Amino acid sequence: MLLLIFMKIEKVKKTITPLSKRERKRYILLEVLNVDVNEKDFYFGFWIDLLSFFGSKGLAEINPRIVLFKGNKAIIKCKRGKELDLIAGTAFIEKIRNKKVIINPVLTSGTIKTLKEYAKID
Amino acid sequence: MDVVYAQPLKELLAVSAYFKEDLIVLVSTSAQEKVAKDAKLTPCFVVSTSTPSSDLQKLSKKKKAVVGSDLKENEFAVKIRADFLLQPSNTKQNFDLGLAKKLSDNNTVVVLMFEELMKTNSFERHQYWKNYIEVVRYCKMKGTKFVVASGAKDPLHLRPRKVREALAVLLGLSDGLSKKYLEEVIK
Repeated sequence: MLLLIFMKIEKVKKTITPLSKRERKRYILLEVLNVDVNEKDFYFGFWIDLLSFFGSKGLAEINPRIVLFKGNKAIIKCKRGKELDLIAGTAFIEKIRNKKVIINPVLTSGTIKTLKEYAKID
Repeated sequence: MDVVYAQPLKELLAVSAYFKEDLIVLVSTSAQEKVAKDAKLTPCFVVSTSTPSSDLQKLSKKKKAVVGSDLKENEFAVKIRADFLLQPSNTKQNFDLGLAKKLSDNNTVVVLMFEELMKTNSFERHQYWKNYIEVVRYCKMKGTKFVVASGAKDPLHLRPRKVREALAVLLGLSDGLSKKYLEEVIK
């Protein structure tokens, strides 16, 4: 018991990966045409179709993340070099909530800021 | 450039105008051709081995497309010097290096109709995909033009140009070539 009392509890410092060693990413601005969908519906429609086309391994390599969804426009983050794969995959998204949609990739950029400015999203 | 089937024009024009896309409409009758021309779209006649030779002669100066579902139809596209060979392969591979060379000499464009691919189930889809990777490889070797088109019968099945370019790149075509072919074809 005494030993336990005198034991030092060392704080583990969180290591921050330097900017140069972080994984590079790209952001894609997508536009959902024809129907108004909410974020949740888009999220499910997006994942199901991409997963059926690329499979778990392929999708893990692309590593897509929905960063922002506002007014039928979405900003998706993915691994750099895999943006064309992701754009091609969006062709397979045919329906969301049983309503036909067209996903239109508007712009690809390295920063969210550019996309937000282009799409006029606050 | 995008290739679609004849369909209600009002919605089609609205969607194509949004994408700023020139459309080639596949027609089978002269009435459909007239409607397409009135809407300032490019008509293209779909012909097959069953089309009478008298009809083929009438279409000699017009754009022609062949739906290549089997070897016979693919060879027919070479024989009549068709402008487009649609769907040269399906779950079975009907395309080879010799055919690619002949199509290249005739300046025929090989077209993957995306809607056909969408209709298939996941098992058939992988066979389609595997065969088209081979088709693109042969086309690259012989310099045959290859494009991915929507092939839609419904305006909401049209796909934007960026997506179709990305699909062609995914099949093995280079980035520059996929863009170049899509721009060239309509001229």
